[in-house]
Amino acid sequence: MILKIALKDFYNNLVSSRFVIGFLLCLFLIPFTMIVSINDYQSQMKAYETEFKQAEENNHIRVYSEYRPEIVKAPEPLSIFSRGISHQVGNKVRILFGEKPMTATGKTAVRDNPLLNSFFSLDFTSVLAIIMSLLALLFSYDACTGEREQGTLKLLMVSSLGSWKILLGKIVGAVLTLLPVILFCYIICSLIILFHPAVAFSTAEWLSIVALFGISIVYFVFFLAVGLLISTRLRSSVTSIIVCLFIWVSTVFVIPNMAVYGAQSFVQRDTEENLRFALSDLDQKFRSEEDAYANTLPAPDWWMHFNLSGRIDGGALMGGCAKSLYERYRDLNTFREPLRVEYADKKWALQKAYIDKLDKQRKFAERLALSSPSELYRQAVSSLCKTDVPAQYRFLEKTREYREELIGYYQDEGLFESFNYFTREDPKTFMTADEIIITRTGGDFKTLADYNTNGGTWKSMDKVDIPGTNPYEYDFLDTSNMPQFHTSAGIDAKAVISVLYRAAVLLIVSILLFFLSFVSFTRYDVR
Amino acid sequence: MSLRLHLALVLTLFVFVTGTVAFVASHNMSLDQHGQFESKHTEMRREQAENNLTQYAVYRDNYILEPRGSSFLSDSREKYLPNSLQVNAYNVFGFGVKPGSINPYLQSFQELNWAFIVSLIMGFIVLLLTFDTISGEKQSRTLALLFANPVSRASVLFGKYISTILSALFILAPGMCLSSIILILSGSVAFTGITLFEIAGFMAASVVYISCVAAFGLLASVLSKTPNVSLLFSLVFWIVFVAIIPNSALFWSQTLFPIDSPEKVNATVSAARQEINDSAPKGSWSSSRNNPFYPRHELRANNQTNLMNSEKRIRDAWYNDMFLQLDRTRYVTLLSPVSLFEYMCEAIVDGGYVRFRKNWDDMRKYQPQFLTYFKDKDAADADSPHWYNPYENYSTTRKAVNFDELPRYSEIRMPISERLASAMMYLTIIIVYSVVIFMTSFMLFIRYDVR
Repeated sequence: MILKIALKDFYNNLVSSRFVIGFLLCLFLIPFTMIVSINDYQSQMKAYETEFKQAEENNHIRVYSEYRPEIVKAPEPLSIFSRGISHQVGNKVRILFGEKPMTATGKTAVRDNPLLNSFFSLDFTSVLAIIMSLLALLFSYDACTGEREQGTLKLLMVSSLGSWKILLGKIVGAVLTLLPVILFCYIICSLIILFHPAVAFSTAEWLSIVALFGISIVYFVFFLAVGLLISTRLRSSVTSIIVCLFIWVSTVFVIPNMAVYGAQSFVQRDTEENLRFALSDLDQKFRSEEDAYANTLPAPDWWMHFNLSGRIDGGALMGGCAKSLYERYRDLNTFREPLRVEYADKKWALQKAYIDKLDKQRKFAERLALSSPSELYRQAVSSLCKTDVPAQYRFLEKTREYREELIGYYQDEGLFESFNYFTREDPKTFMTADEIIITRTGGDFKTLADYNTNGGTWKSMDKVDIPGTNPYEYDFLDTSNMPQFHTSAGIDAKAVISVLYRAAVLLIVSILLFFLSFVSFTRYDVR
Repeated sequence: MSLRLHLALVLTLFVFVTGTVAFVASHNMSLDQHGQFESKHTEMRREQAENNLTQYAVYRDNYILEPRGSSFLSDSREKYLPNSLQVNAYNVFGFGVKPGSINPYLQSFQELNWAFIVSLIMGFIVLLLTFDTISGEKQSRTLALLFANPVSRASVLFGKYISTILSALFILAPGMCLSSIILILSGSVAFTGITLFEIAGFMAASVVYISCVAAFGLLASVLSKTPNVSLLFSLVFWIVFVAIIPNSALFWSQTLFPIDSPEKVNATVSAARQEINDSAPKGSWSSSRNNPFYPRHELRANNQTNLMNSEKRIRDAWYNDMFLQLDRTRYVTLLSPVSLFEYMCEAIVDGGYVRFRKNWDDMRKYQPQFLTYFKDKDAADADSPHWYNPYENYSTTRKAVNFDELPRYSEIRMPISERLASAMMYLTIIIVYSVVIFMTSFMLFIRYDVR
């Protein structure tokens, strides 16, 4: 009997205008959104490839002090479904010894034309969240009231059926009608993805799409339950749909904006400038400590730097200098580089306080948004697609761990104390200033003092080249046995819990709503 | 007082109150932060000026736009738009979004300001108020009765149209009043003549917008025989106008009006630099910090000026492409009354892109004045060789200058007449739009067979 009611509703729905219009809306919107999302993914991918190539080139180094690798994260293929925050935060992190990675930079965080920031864009999930909730409400708002207005509810009630069976039949009917629509949406998307040359999904990602489908069904059922409950509480279809639509617009459009706006207004956070000021104070302190130590070191017999290319964060590539200068540099590095790492920890305390406040704001917004099922759904989906904030945090945490690993390697191998940290010359071939003068001038000058007092010029030193003093003659260092950054391809337990938790909340609340509508329906006045 | 009117009143009042309270909190906070930034920044600039004028003039300064009080009406997504201009005496270099002005971990969102409430919530409510005005009467067969009366069909339709607009305004009025009261009591926004004009302009824009949406509601109602179907039409209109058209703009901008990527522009700039450096006379790079009259400083200054000019040419062309891209994308979104209303509000409150563009243009007018001032001061200094170098402090005056005498850029808000003029285009489109839609529904209504 339940099946009969369900089938009756199914056939009724199928010929109704709401089905036709809803279906057409899906037919137009879903492929369009999908294409927009894939387009977006493609441009992200292109940006990633250029940045990755750049990073690879930067990793070609000649001395250890220049090794400050850049980590670029590939865009998540699943971001096609839910973009989350992936288009607001960067995907590139430079590993520095003097500062822990706090936020990511990179092309994903900025648009080519910043003026276009005034346009928002919807991802697949947002469109689905809007359309599916609306369809669910449109197919359930008159479950009771419609039958009452047509007078058929009385007929149903006199039959031997229990009232709960009637309601169940109605639910099954609505699900039967719309399940194919949702399935159809997903199949279209899968086909587009399957045949699109720019996207390749792995098995795990296809499985995620199945999970996405499951969550979407739960979300859809939730709104079905809302519509049903309202329908059993009210007497006319028009009132019922009005109430349903007000709930819809509040949950889908008002609450999400309200939550973020509230968080931004009521939860204080520091400005980035203040953080930068505080950090540069620490940098200042670091430099003065460095200078203080450097002043205690004996002065080299010659300050001449023949080849020096300075990079950031203590990076230096030297060649052709006097032995005493190299020794001075080594002594300085032995003191300075561990100090740099120490200062990074000091800076991190400030940075942590800053991002903790950002996180507090984010958490506040997320909690407020929990009152909206569509936000719950979006959060669950973006967790599943690994585009939510925790996923970004995990990435940054990984880069920080990698940094520790790398520093550990430097310490274990004694690289800070080695000459290889800044020069490729063999310590055995280091020369004193006088030796350099004699060799380079071909014996024209005997000592440095001689050169200085008797009118030595640049030209006079170019006579004889000392082999091995040009650092660019050397090959790139082999970095293969250094620690490498690995992105974890595995599934994160926390993400799974976050998805399951949100899906479960949706499911439990919808069961509760169904239960309430059964109670309400048994008391329904059929007149 | 029908149920929908009740619900609409409750919802709008609630959003008005929460939105305004949140606005007061966030506006005070951002004013405070901006004040802190400004005082630190002024301190630094003062030091530079008192140190020496050239240092002050060649420093690439960031001018940051101040938080705008009238953003309770419409924030025009200003927090996502570029809000800082890079300038020194020789050039306006570019613009950008000040880092840290938004929390990147928060979803991008719309503030619950008046424009949001009217465009999104009121638009929805108006459709809910109109969707069954005709189709409801068709279904309950009262339309025939109505036609039996000695009133023309035109006045029936027009009467219904006007009554919807009036009830929408009735819903809006209490929220606006309450919001204004909160704003006045909190004192975070000064209610000046300009503010009153902005509110009046906003209300006028709202009336026009509401009548446009009401025309669409009527069309949906006339098109179908039953309220169920007309509701569906209305919802489709709303989704297309609110969610689809404005939110697909980014896609259209990238596919229809692509511009060069920053990498490409940077590559062009460095190629041009290379060319200039290659053809520069020998000695164009030498410098001597302690001797301004070091003869090669003149060559150096010339070279730097050439470099700046070539980069400026390339970048300015690119910026113009950006402006064009945005303008064109906006034309695509003009299909949606929601976007039209937002642009209208933006023009009236002088916010968002309009404000940015005005500041950009004004800054480019101010910069030559600053340069003239600098050159005059430099000309008066006998210890300066007057070789103008846009980036470095080598060969121009090294005298200190009184900071308070220096010309400084300050934002000039757009006068009322200009704001009205720029709102006029959108106003015309939206009026034409509503008239066309209303006339269409009128034609359909005239031909409707009541049997």
